[in-house]
Amino acid sequence: MKLLTHNMLTSHVKGVTKGYPLLIKQATEVKVNEVDFNPQFVTRMIPKLEWSALVHAAEELGQRQDLPDELVPEYENNEEFLKKVHRVLLEVEVIEGCLRCPESGREFPISRGIPNMLLNEDEV
Amino acid sequence: MKTDARSEAPLVRYYCTAGGGMERFLLDEVKVKLAAEDVCQMPGKVLFSSSVGINTVSELRAAERLFLLLKQDLPVQLSANTNPAKAASVLRSRVLGDKTLWTSAVMTWNHLQGELEGRRTSVNPPNPALGVTMKRDEGRIEEQRGEEEEKHNEENKSKRETAQRGETLKGETCGAEAQILEKKRKRDSEGKESNSGKNAKKPRSPEKERKRQYKEDDEEGRRKVMEFNGCGQSGKSAMKPDTDLCSRGSVCLIAEEDHNLKRSGMKMDDMAKDFAVKNVECVETTGGGDKTLLQPSRIKPEPFSPDPVSFRISCKCTGSLSRYFNTQEVSRVIGVGLSKLLGWKIDLKNPQLEVNVNLSDDHCLLGIPLTRLPLAHRSYMKTTGLRSTVAWAMASLAQIQPGFCVVDPMCGVGTILIEAAQEHKASHFLGMDIDDGQLRKANENVEFAVLGNRIHLLKASSMMLPLPSASVDVVVCDLPFGRKFGTKTTTAANLPLILTEMERILCIGGTLVLLLSPQLSCLLKKLLEQKASGPTSNQESKPQTGIRDGPSPSPSRSKQQAFQILQRVKSPPTQKTDPPSVLQHCLPPPLSSLKHQATLRVCLGAIDGLIHKYVKTET
Repeated sequence: MKLLTHNMLTSHVKGVTKGYPLLIKQATEVKVNEVDFNPQFVTRMIPKLEWSALVHAAEELGQRQDLPDELVPEYENNEEFLKKVHRVLLEVEVIEGCLRCPESGREFPISRGIPNMLLNEDEV
Repeated sequence: MKTDARSEAPLVRYYCTAGGGMERFLLDEVKVKLAAEDVCQMPGKVLFSSSVGINTVSELRAAERLFLLLKQDLPVQLSANTNPAKAASVLRSRVLGDKTLWTSAVMTWNHLQGELEGRRTSVNPPNPALGVTMKRDEGRIEEQRGEEEEKHNEENKSKRETAQRGETLKGETCGAEAQILEKKRKRDSEGKESNSGKNAKKPRSPEKERKRQYKEDDEEGRRKVMEFNGCGQSGKSAMKPDTDLCSRGSVCLIAEEDHNLKRSGMKMDDMAKDFAVKNVECVETTGGGDKTLLQPSRIKPEPFSPDPVSFRISCKCTGSLSRYFNTQEVSRVIGVGLSKLLGWKIDLKNPQLEVNVNLSDDHCLLGIPLTRLPLAHRSYMKTTGLRSTVAWAMASLAQIQPGFCVVDPMCGVGTILIEAAQEHKASHFLGMDIDDGQLRKANENVEFAVLGNRIHLLKASSMMLPLPSASVDVVVCDLPFGRKFGTKTTTAANLPLILTEMERILCIGGTLVLLLSPQLSCLLKKLLEQKASGPTSNQESKPQTGIRDGPSPSPSRSKQQAFQILQRVKSPPTQKTDPPSVLQHCLPPPLSSLKHQATLRVCLGAIDGLIHKYVKTET
């Protein structure tokens, strides 16, 4: 699971009003891949991100490095910044771990890089 | 080979076959991507002219197969009671026409093959269609031969690659087996590994050794990893690899006649020859030609002996003409006529060229296939689900923009997402499926296509998408048609809930593109028709407290809804729309914000599918 995906994921357990952001726990296997840097792509992704959730997730994985608390103004031309964002969004990958709903505590396992967001019938 | 200004590049006329319903997509595609001129459409075919390079032409996504146009003419018509001999003569003269038509077409064909070949030997990440098919074959063999690779220097590499292709083909054999293998490859290209694996075990041979091998087996030597289709139509034997290496030499042979007979004489069965080297020979002989194809001569030329072009006719004959001739007879008449006209040799098993002949009451159309595999066969797909052409069409209907987030809530092996991601390089894609097996294959496909940075996968239910409301720009989905997938409940029963979730996650202005079976398509139409009626009358239980991104209704409730919805279709609604104050506390009517844009029918092989397009509007 890449953090770009994590940034969107929401828990829909019954009765939960704010199932976002999901906490990353027990990340026993985390990879940092080398992914081609595409500044245009990163620039387009940034406005859609929940920035604090991204920073928090990166921190949970110990991969935050020097990612700032707030979005840097005029990031479109700041290649250094874009590269940092690129790294946490696309290069860091949780292979084994789990995601926890912040409200209900329900855990969604991540296995082989793919989070399992299926709920049981009674949770729905 | 690049051309700087379009005016310098020659205009080449092509035609492509297209699956049922795909013609409109192909028409648009050639205009947009190839600046195509003189575009015209026939059932199942699109003809066009373009000066854009063949490597780009061969990247067309909506096409089945690509042909170089030989002749586009008025239909061959025979007056009543023409005797057979006269009929054959008319057929010959109408179809064959002038010699120069053929010789110039073959020269163009050779030129195009050279350009395609040039791309093939480059070391790049997967490229479409034929270029990469070959690269992949080589790749697999390369892996197996790991250690041996290091022994050889770069110069030998391409020689080896050409040798490998020949060796790979040995495993494929002739006749029907090759056709079966070809089909198998299309379905699952992993199947080919076993064949190539066997052959790859042969020891690396120095050039001499390789030549000896090829001399041993004439067919082997001639072969290149190029096959043509359409054999079935003419009743001829299965698809065969051809060789363009040889034909280039032959073209010079034909074009220059006596002059070449003495000089060119390239060994037709010497696979080790680099194509460009042959080109050099031609160039020297003819005193002209395209020097940009020249490459450093890595292979020593051999003594040559001239051979004519070998060919086969692949024919489709319908309409009034078929009263005089059946397809095989037409093939024979034209084949024999052509060989007499040009001195070409008929070879049913392993020709260098295939001539595609289409005769109907509306036209006479001849062409030469340009690629071994159809364009519809994607080199970047490992395991296909939905037809790649239809998947691409769906993605193109969705009008994906840079920066978009595109979701497929029932992605299967990821076909639609991969086609979309290949086309739209600045967008990101999220695929979901409930089935581990499908997700595993989707993962493999994504990795194979090197798209893991932009296509991400989740295990999730389409009836409960783990995404916030209004967070997604495009939803595309090939809804399971009910029979293939082992779900406990059918898609039909779950359709309202599935649609509700898709609608929920879409932004306002977002696009929804679905592929449905005819039955599901009807059901969906009905579901949306009743949207005009009030919402609360639909629900038996208490309305929820208006949190849009709360949990979705349970599956059992959806069945109730589905039932009610269908019932309402039968009897006209009697209730008026509820007053606004009540509405505020209720979920908006399901699916009411989806505005229908288009419904298109496409052929999926045994069955037809319907593509529906919607845009989410303000509720």
